[in-house]
Amino acid sequence: MNALIHRFRPLGALLLLVLLLIAPGAGLVNGYWSRTIMLIAILSLLVSGLNVVLGYAGELAMGQVALYAVGAYVAGYLGVAFGVTNVLVALAAATLAAVVVGLITGIPGLRLGGWSLAMVTFFLVTLVPNLVDIFADFTGGTLGMGTAVPTLFGMEIVGDRLYWLIILVVVGWFAVARNLLLSRHGNMFLVLRQSPILASVLGVSVYRLRLLVYVVGAIPAALAGALFSMLDGFIAPDTFTFALALSVLAASVVGGATSVYGAIAGAVVMQLGQQTFTQFQTWQLVIYGAFLLIAGIAFNRGLAGLAQDGLAAARRRGWLPTLPPASAAAAPVDDEPAARLEPLRGVLLRTEGLSKSFGGNRALDDVSIEARPGEVTALIGPNGSGKTTLLNLICGLYQPSGGRLFLGDEQIGGQPPYRIARHGVARTFQTPLIPKNMTTLAFVATGRYVTHKVGILPAILRLPKFRRGYAADDEQAMALLRLVGIGDVAGRQVDALALGTRRLVEVARSLASGARVFCFDEVGSGLDASDIAVLEQAIGMIREAGGTVILVEHNFPLVLKLADRIHVLSQGRLLASGTPAQIQADRRVLAEYTGAADGGDDGAAESVTDLEASEGPAVPKGAK
Amino acid sequence: MTTVWAGLATGAIYSLVAIGYNVVLLASGTFNFAHAQLLMVGTFLAYAGAVTFGLPVVPTVLLAAVGVAVIALVEERVAIRPLLGRADRHGTLITTVGAATILDGLAAAIWGRQPLTVPSVLPDEPLTLLGGTLRPVDLALIGLTLVVGVGLHLWSRHTLTGLASLASAEDRDAASARGINVRLLGVGAFAVAGAIAGAFGLLVGARTYAVFDLGHSLALFGFVAIAIGGSGSQLGGLIGGFATGLVYAFAARYIGAAYPQLVVFGVFLLILFLRPRGLFGTALERRV
Repeated sequence: MNALIHRFRPLGALLLLVLLLIAPGAGLVNGYWSRTIMLIAILSLLVSGLNVVLGYAGELAMGQVALYAVGAYVAGYLGVAFGVTNVLVALAAATLAAVVVGLITGIPGLRLGGWSLAMVTFFLVTLVPNLVDIFADFTGGTLGMGTAVPTLFGMEIVGDRLYWLIILVVVGWFAVARNLLLSRHGNMFLVLRQSPILASVLGVSVYRLRLLVYVVGAIPAALAGALFSMLDGFIAPDTFTFALALSVLAASVVGGATSVYGAIAGAVVMQLGQQTFTQFQTWQLVIYGAFLLIAGIAFNRGLAGLAQDGLAAARRRGWLPTLPPASAAAAPVDDEPAARLEPLRGVLLRTEGLSKSFGGNRALDDVSIEARPGEVTALIGPNGSGKTTLLNLICGLYQPSGGRLFLGDEQIGGQPPYRIARHGVARTFQTPLIPKNMTTLAFVATGRYVTHKVGILPAILRLPKFRRGYAADDEQAMALLRLVGIGDVAGRQVDALALGTRRLVEVARSLASGARVFCFDEVGSGLDASDIAVLEQAIGMIREAGGTVILVEHNFPLVLKLADRIHVLSQGRLLASGTPAQIQADRRVLAEYTGAADGGDDGAAESVTDLEASEGPAVPKGAK
Repeated sequence: MTTVWAGLATGAIYSLVAIGYNVVLLASGTFNFAHAQLLMVGTFLAYAGAVTFGLPVVPTVLLAAVGVAVIALVEERVAIRPLLGRADRHGTLITTVGAATILDGLAAAIWGRQPLTVPSVLPDEPLTLLGGTLRPVDLALIGLTLVVGVGLHLWSRHTLTGLASLASAEDRDAASARGINVRLLGVGAFAVAGAIAGAFGLLVGARTYAVFDLGHSLALFGFVAIAIGGSGSQLGGLIGGFATGLVYAFAARYIGAAYPQLVVFGVFLLILFLRPRGLFGTALERRV
């Protein structure tokens, strides 16, 4: 999808824009159609704001209509009460008002995510008539208010000039939205949508990022309101209805929420539908509802998705020229696999009596371990012994019930996951967390989002800083993918990869941030022999480079081969610690794994190595 | 005291919505946005039974209960089940709003946009109780809501089915592996929630009118009740609903007719900001 929009011919777009701008003046469209185009443009602003929030951050905000009202009344009131009719001032004031209202509703509404933001913003829509009534002195109450004629540098902005203004503002917004969404920021929004947990272990404060996205999405709605007040010259509360909120939502899902230009397609469908079919009023709600239901279940990528599928199909059949492979420009040409990593600033990670209880269940009890830089520290133990719990405590996904966690000399236990990630703790997941709509290369590059940050403004303006950062991200991500032996999948959609490849992608992603501590959660399970070999090599390289590696693993031969030190957990307690040789000889560990009595040597097994099969199917045959 | 009674009677409706949300939430982990619309349909079916068909009370209640339960089952089949098991957890956010909108639209198309008066089944003579006056039908609404809410709370804590429902809300896969029929529980929850919403249609309609967009305000205030009570807590939702009703009634009485919504909104934002898990909710930790 990104590739398609990246290749969007700038020249063609410019031609289209010029055509659109001269259309009314050149007599190509009559008054009815120029008004329709303006209404579509305004509606597409509303829809685009919702797309940013819904399609990219995965939060449902129904309050676009309330922000629309805010923009309209702010612009209208400035003109009527203070004689400020300059359109630029009106648009700036509307933007500011949107940010304020966005913060007031977003700060509480996003504390939990999910339905609470939807409900807060829905509430906001139903409050519009009350607020208009309460502030009747400013808003004209239910009767409405007439607005002043907008001006710019002494010109009255009416007729064709207003048409131009509306088109230019809308085009400007879409340029901003495109540049923001088709950047690392947009990719991070997609990660957030897919998995807030993944976003937080990448070092992103989920709450703040959600708030940012929500406030950004509020701005076009207020701009739309200001433009609407100029277009109609009259503002009354019965414009800002819940039905309009639903039509915005329906337009968003029809056009495809996770796309930049889908908003325009959705707005066209809704606006023309309303104007063309006289029956629309009666069945309006049923139609909107049906759109939501169908789009939610059957084609959740909307018209934009259909268009992309169509283009892709046309390319496959040779009707259209094929795209150059994504980001080929950024990838260095040499095919030599990168042999080694840059030195990593590994650091000692230490737990002191770390404990975790879930209700009455003590999942981890007084565990003290150490993981040194330049070493691989393995955590082993039967299922339910607390390995993943310990990892979750280290990464901050759980709050410890007791004990302390040190990174170097700093106590980091109890900090939120994104802070711990920013200290340089990276991790992979037992079930790899993989976002949709993203290439493998872009996904690996998200690992660098926090550590090699490029701000939002450079991204929107496509400044040289952004281009440099983007190129460096791609280059580094490509090198890491080569390092783990999967450079060939860089341009493929990451959610289309097989499980084994996903695990390697996660390893590359964790390396991208230049982390100091690497937590690998059962990274070897489900891998075939050749993948395991690559993985061994990669982990070996991290150790060589001085990184601290914590490995949770069922594959005992792999652990024996890789680990410098092994900690054995059993029922939430630390059973034994030692070198691989010590652990292999440990009677208690043997007993734990076989169920034999403590110290009993009646068994046929001589060492733990022979008993790996007791761990079940997690051990691939080829690994022996 | 009259204000208190008015607040409790309105609050009972919000509690009912919160209870309905919780029944489905507890059994299937889905938030059914359209539940308030089910209550709205209940008021219309009660109107149809009592006025259009001229039925006595018991058949009217049965008609509404069965009718709404069937609609709830259809909703589950169409809007929820196709999304079960999908990795993308945002689907129901859209589809339940879609289902709610369709119900709004159908109600408007069938019964029109003007409010219809649902007859009160009890005498309209106001009672004087504890220094305030209220209609008998309101007292019945408050009492029956309490009975249902407390009953469901006890049921979920003390019966095998209730515990199974709690377990499957906690972790569908684990519950399924323990031999709990997760799907049946989810479907059953929709049927039960729908039947309760329908059965109360007559009492709710007598207090509010039957009108196609009744669901909007009920959804909001029902959600405020959940926010106060903590999601998944039947007792919390019950108390939250009554509390919301009281806040509304007092704001309307002492601040002005345009303000109660605004005041409730303020309370809602404060709760979300200060106690996002609700006053009675317990902090759940996320799992990887």
